[in-house]
Amino acid sequence: MSNLSFGKKLILLGVLVMVVLAGLHFSAANIERLTPLAAAVRDVLSPVQRLVMAAGREISDFFSFPIRLVKLSQRNRALEQQLGELRGTLLQYEEIRAENSRLKELLDFKTSLSPQLTTEAAAVIGRDYDNWFGTIIINKGAADGIRRNMAVITPAGLVGRVIRVSDGTAEVLLITDPRSGVGSLVQETRAPGIVEGVVGGQGKLHMIHIPADLAPKRGYRVITSGLGSIFPKGIPIGIVLEIRKEESGLFKMAVVDAYVDFNRLEEVLVVTSPVHPAAAENARR
Amino acid sequence: MRSLTFLLLVLAALVVQSTALNFMLIYGIKPDLVLVLVILNGFLRGTREGAFLGFAGGILQDLVGGGYFGMHALTNMAAGYLAGLGEGRLYRDNRVIAAGLTWICTLLAQLIFYLLLVLVRVHVPLFIALVHIIVPVSFYNALVVLVIYGFYYRSHRRGLLSGGEF
Repeated sequence: MSNLSFGKKLILLGVLVMVVLAGLHFSAANIERLTPLAAAVRDVLSPVQRLVMAAGREISDFFSFPIRLVKLSQRNRALEQQLGELRGTLLQYEEIRAENSRLKELLDFKTSLSPQLTTEAAAVIGRDYDNWFGTIIINKGAADGIRRNMAVITPAGLVGRVIRVSDGTAEVLLITDPRSGVGSLVQETRAPGIVEGVVGGQGKLHMIHIPADLAPKRGYRVITSGLGSIFPKGIPIGIVLEIRKEESGLFKMAVVDAYVDFNRLEEVLVVTSPVHPAAAENARR
Repeated sequence: MRSLTFLLLVLAALVVQSTALNFMLIYGIKPDLVLVLVILNGFLRGTREGAFLGFAGGILQDLVGGGYFGMHALTNMAAGYLAGLGEGRLYRDNRVIAAGLTWICTLLAQLIFYLLLVLVRVHVPLFIALVHIIVPVSFYNALVVLVIYGFYYRSHRRGLLSGGEF
């Protein structure tokens, strides 16, 4: 190669770059398919990843222990106070839930709210290699019944959806990824919008296309709207931090702080039941 | 043989990057170890090997990751080449110089990555990309080089990564 003239080297480099750009273009169109090689490598690496992840967690816990201890008593007091308030609220909610169930039965209404969902627990064994995207790898795959586009949640709220599956692992696109979009609602005003990721590593989200007359206030809660066929209705997403006007001027947008701490995800739940049971039943008939 | 050792090192870096490094986040950001290896290799070996092994390491990352094919290959090739420009011109015994070069090369490589993201229609506002990713990763990578440069340089002189032409 060192014997080649400068011109020939330049042509060779140009051809190489063009080939790679063509590959990039092709793979971008098929981003939700895992190549057989990538799937095999992922299955082979998954036990190693799980081991290194567990070791990293132990070491991190060891070093952060003194800091956590200092914060613990302060946090304990705040939580005790919060617990008292929540007990009162819970009693009210239980009453409302019972009333709601009775009324739904009367109306023969099929719901897709989260308590009716079937889930499969999975451990997080890896994350994206770089900082741009927000994806995690979980230790359950096609062999465990995990399929593409299944919603992924935690008790705190929405995590994302499955985008690629190998036999023993699945890759989950977090809602913080810039490629993610989730149909959502502001719980208090019922204003619709789309929650988009900003950058992978941060917990901040943008809710866009909110009608100007239904603009939420700081502290309002954002939940999934259930529109579309991926995410069940009523899964908590986050809390509104700030309201801005969109560039077009027609809509508002909100900066949303996610309920889920994406940097500390250890276990997640994959929603394996149909998101819209009634629709699935009709489709089967 | 040395190239193979380098690629095995890249594979190990990928495993660490996707697992244990997530417990060492600063400001939600982790260092890019593969890019650090590519830059150090370019700095100590020159533009030709820097670009070649940068490309090979990037292809490996793209194959293992299963995402956009070629994105890391192009970015790392450019980073390896840019770092190689420092070979013979900059004093290689000084870790601060290596860290400074890493800072600049990471910044430029991440900007190239940003442009490739635009090409595949992934929209991240430029200001957010600069403030939340590009600049913090550049500093974090430089910090990593300050810590590991001594080991890498010794390995390049007398260890697993020593030797002549690749």
